[in-house]
Amino acid sequence: MATAAQYTETLPREGSQQLDPEVLRRLYTYMLKCRIVEERIRVLYRQGRFAGNYFAAVGQEATEVGTTIDLLPEDTVAPSHRNFVTNIMKGTPLTLLFAHIYGRETSPDQGRSAPAHCGYAPLNVITPSSTIAAQQNIGTGIALAYKMQRKPNVVVALTGEGATSLGFWHEAVNFAAVHKLPIIFVIENNGYAESVPVSLQSAVEDLSSKAAGYGIPGVTVDGNDVVAVYTAMREAIDRARSGGGATLLECKTYRWYGHSEIDPAKYRDPAEVEYWKSRDPIPAMEHYLTARNLWSDQWKKELTAEINREIDEAIAFAENSPKPKADEALDHVYSFSIRERELKRKVWSPRSQRGSSWR
Amino acid sequence: MAVMTYIDAINAALHEEMERDPNVFVIGEDVAKMGGAFKATKGLLEKFGNERVIDSPLAEGVIISSSIGAAMAGMRPVPEIQFVDFITPGIDAITQQAAKLRYRSAGTQTCPITVRVCYGGGVGGGLYHSQSNTSWFIHCPGLVVVAPSTPYDAKGLLKAAIRNDDPIMFFEHKKLYRSIKEEVPQEDYTVPLLKAAVRRKGTDLTAISYGYTLQLTLQAAEEVKKKHGAEIEVIDLRTLSPLDTDTFLESVAKTNRAVVVHEDNRTLGIGAEVAAVIAEQAFDCLDAPILRVTAPDVPLLPAAAELEHFCTVSVEKIVTAIERTLDH
Repeated sequence: MATAAQYTETLPREGSQQLDPEVLRRLYTYMLKCRIVEERIRVLYRQGRFAGNYFAAVGQEATEVGTTIDLLPEDTVAPSHRNFVTNIMKGTPLTLLFAHIYGRETSPDQGRSAPAHCGYAPLNVITPSSTIAAQQNIGTGIALAYKMQRKPNVVVALTGEGATSLGFWHEAVNFAAVHKLPIIFVIENNGYAESVPVSLQSAVEDLSSKAAGYGIPGVTVDGNDVVAVYTAMREAIDRARSGGGATLLECKTYRWYGHSEIDPAKYRDPAEVEYWKSRDPIPAMEHYLTARNLWSDQWKKELTAEINREIDEAIAFAENSPKPKADEALDHVYSFSIRERELKRKVWSPRSQRGSSWR
Repeated sequence: MAVMTYIDAINAALHEEMERDPNVFVIGEDVAKMGGAFKATKGLLEKFGNERVIDSPLAEGVIISSSIGAAMAGMRPVPEIQFVDFITPGIDAITQQAAKLRYRSAGTQTCPITVRVCYGGGVGGGLYHSQSNTSWFIHCPGLVVVAPSTPYDAKGLLKAAIRNDDPIMFFEHKKLYRSIKEEVPQEDYTVPLLKAAVRRKGTDLTAISYGYTLQLTLQAAEEVKKKHGAEIEVIDLRTLSPLDTDTFLESVAKTNRAVVVHEDNRTLGIGAEVAAVIAEQAFDCLDAPILRVTAPDVPLLPAAAELEHFCTVSVEKIVTAIERTLDH
């Protein structure tokens, strides 16, 4: 994986592109929101208040936010299991996200998809599967449709670095390159695919170098530097919207916790975890904003209180939402109902005399 | 009306549907300039241009998955997989994405795609140009699996499939492409999905099949009539999943005997499901065990003529099974 020494301690780095103060404050606000939401979900899981599992992106907020903030409602986000919080940037209401976590009737998937696998059709967030690189492939098709329909929309397709080992992933990137599709393939390189380090996934230093093999631009940024991620993403989005085609963007970051809530991640060196926690993108952004007179303790307190209030309301909504009715498991398999087929099996009796031979 | 081969009927359906709906497009290997390995997409490039007739990279995964995404965004893709033997890189896209998208999003995200697949043996194609593999997809709820047996149905079912809102696996038997001709309307019509057809009326035994072996089953029925005077009712399943069980159960309730014929492997082939449904829902109607005429459970199909013939369903094998069932 990327050596720690290449990073400076102060993030985002000075000299990165000067962004509008409102943009900077919004980037910070969303990172804070994602962090608080996911830490709350982790608490709820430990309290046994929802079933299943969760796949937190805590520590990776700069990448989550920087790549999916400020998209248009018509743009598509193709998330993996690690990108639940991209819904927040897209605008999926928190009430629905918690209803999803709780597997309730009010969830966008009405209790079908496992926690963290949440999409939202009205804002074009693809409901993810757990099979890796799948949404990126589907996203490629959506980008193909946007091109055919002469729409200026773009697709942001996110995977971890592990996905880049799959043939399926390469098929999508290659196809998008051949057809100059409006899609940005984001590799969220957090160092580990479950337990397997990136050094066992790939022999290249920067995964973005794979872009050269397809003839599209490839960029690697510090995935804990939200300004760097946002800036690189703006360039890629502008290119996609203006017909310039696909981009491969690698964001090098780190997953604070295990692959999921049942993974203590003992395969990692604690010193490595501590190092990356010292590179927490949120205090780094506070430092950056403070230097520009854009941050105060008081503002953070207000933001935190507001976010927690919204989360409390969302949890109340989820917990008060009805559970799915058991036989609704039969719905939404096809465009037509299979209830009768499954529930009413007619038994047939002979129409001709029993034992009567054809002869 | 015009006399058409099966492949002409497929080609006509594609032309008509692309004329009718600008969202319909085709994508696959060799479908554009070459007009398809079997010429199913002949003339489409010239008429509709390369945005709607796309020669894809040699990558079945993205042929299917790009179609899924495009369908989510409002298009009506008709991807072609040249041989079902080559569909395996697209299996994740079909079984995990297309089949489950509607379900996992509670009906809010859907992908109306019609995957045209050439299947079947008996042409000396060997192990990788002869497979059927229909069961891979029949076993996957969320997919509609269609396999027409006649030119009329090929056109009408393909048009119905393209207009349907579900992901559809559309199986075309390569041996049917040019072997049979029939009158096919040149005007617009559809054949209903999810509905079997009674191809031949009979009273003494129900023979159930689909695709190319349906044609063999009809020939076998005529031979049995000549030899024994027995009248075989022949059911064409047409849609393999979800299965129209009523049509064959109604028939078995009348004839009290059933034979199922397909060229895919025996174990967990559609014959196993048909036999199980009859046993569960029409056990009291049966006067004889249900027999299956299928390929043996070996990789299909070995190339040498002797080996291929051994593994392939024939009129003789069907006649023998019918005779055994009648004599029981």
